[in-house]
Amino acid sequence: MSVPTTAAEARLSHQAIERLRGLRSEGSHEGVFTSDFSVNEFLMVREAGFEPLGLVVGSCIYHVGVQYTSWNRNQEMTVLSQAMYHARELAMTRMAEEAGALHADGIVGVRLEVKRMEWDKDILEFMAIGTAIAHSAGHPMFKGRGGKPFTSDLSGQDLWLLLQSGYRPLEMVMGSCVYHMAHQGVMKSLGNIGRNTEIEVFTQALYDARELAMERMQREAHEAGAEGVVGVQLHEGSHNWQPHVIEFFAIGTAVTPVEDISVLPEKLVPQIVLPVND
Amino acid sequence: MAAAGVANDPAEIARQNARSYEWQNALQRNAVPGFVSERLRHTAVGRLPWISTASPADLLTLRTHGIRTLGMVAGNCWFHFGYSWTEGHRDGWRTAIARMQHEAGLMGADAVVEVRLNTRRLDDGGQRDSMDYSAVGVAVTVAGFEKVHAPVIATVSQLEFARLMEVGVLPVGLAVGACYEWMADPYGWADVQQGYFNQELEVLAGFQSRVRRSALSAMTDDAHRQQGSGVLGRVQFTEMFREQGGQDGPTQYLCRHIAFGTVVQHRRHDHVSAKPRAVLLTRMSKSKSLEASESVI
Repeated sequence: MSVPTTAAEARLSHQAIERLRGLRSEGSHEGVFTSDFSVNEFLMVREAGFEPLGLVVGSCIYHVGVQYTSWNRNQEMTVLSQAMYHARELAMTRMAEEAGALHADGIVGVRLEVKRMEWDKDILEFMAIGTAIAHSAGHPMFKGRGGKPFTSDLSGQDLWLLLQSGYRPLEMVMGSCVYHMAHQGVMKSLGNIGRNTEIEVFTQALYDARELAMERMQREAHEAGAEGVVGVQLHEGSHNWQPHVIEFFAIGTAVTPVEDISVLPEKLVPQIVLPVND
Repeated sequence: MAAAGVANDPAEIARQNARSYEWQNALQRNAVPGFVSERLRHTAVGRLPWISTASPADLLTLRTHGIRTLGMVAGNCWFHFGYSWTEGHRDGWRTAIARMQHEAGLMGADAVVEVRLNTRRLDDGGQRDSMDYSAVGVAVTVAGFEKVHAPVIATVSQLEFARLMEVGVLPVGLAVGACYEWMADPYGWADVQQGYFNQELEVLAGFQSRVRRSALSAMTDDAHRQQGSGVLGRVQFTEMFREQGGQDGPTQYLCRHIAFGTVVQHRRHDHVSAKPRAVLLTRMSKSKSLEASESVI
């Protein structure tokens, strides 16, 4: 059984292609899927009309460039913002290429992790991992932009619920902003002694950084033609940078209304119940 | 990504300075800069995609309860407490929440749900007497909702908001109570008197309960201010420190307590049954069916 060679596949290593082939022996009983699904998640993915194909992974080790800042100014560190975004995008793209080689319709449960290398603070490791799935009846609607698999950090259960609410996932969208908060001069600090007062320069820095990260994520969703972004997470991190430097990172799943509702799983009539165990 | 520009290139610096100037002006007027209000308005009318921290299950409330997502809103305030930590905590939170509420108002929201609170501190020593208070939530409209003044603020999720409305309970805001006190102990009364016995440290226990009680009563007052009839989902923290005495003064104890809760309005003698049923939860996601661990002794 041979998987046709695509442009994306040509970039994957020989071992990766071998592994992926083993995962999808199209339609035969010899195919074995891998996933990190829990039991409930597996059942709900199948309930949503999908089959898992295999775990797909993309990674990137990135050297972050240097940027000098003025000690006493609020400033976005654009070199770092771009590095953090670009490295994550590389990891995500590589993961999506693996899923493409599996002829997947999408990837669910994507986790995006950043680690700092022990020996050099400027080297960061980015990893994207998730489970590739395909629609059991092979309906073409679910593919993401440009016929590529959709990506989503939603769990299998959430995928089912999302379809129930009339949306399908398009792609994970993100926005990053690394920001340097101004240091306060001695005179300014002395002026605040004994007063209860807002430090406006700090407020502004955080307000602006968060706004930029959210705005960029939103713009990416707009370009993807999404109606909305669900499950947004707003992360903050300092990744061992110098003091006063903070990253705001917004990530979520861009969604669009389902065009062909006939392929949706049987429509649910939601009912609110009170769980007695929380 | 939208932001291009080489590091420290003059055009980029000028762009950032202009932006910073707009922030400064806006915050002084208790507003947000034009580029933020424009983005919020465009989002509210669907010219830009909505963004939400809600889960897909929450989106179902559009169909069932007419709760429509407008978009995420946020506010923060970095506050320096010179003379009063207690008041600093109150004012810092109120300012941050009011800013978030202002953003929600620009979107024409009825409510802000899923509000998350967060504080930040700098670890560079010199700034230990200040911190940032921030609030992030999701602005929504609710079909048939009678808005009084500003959008209501709720820490509960969209689903829980719907559930509360079904039974005639309305979340209206967020109550904060904080208290911070020093207690000097020149004669060592707070210390252990005779080390061999089990004993309660009555002086310390009394001090701590006094601080807790005044924080809780401040929270109750705050709920009153918002015309609430109750507080739900309270979270709280207590911290205590001891500062050893010496030449400069006696041993001192510091205790601080902070409590938050969701303020609700309900009619005490008008209970609508939610008719609870026992169910098997299939949405207990990410509690793994397989776990492996390794420990080194």
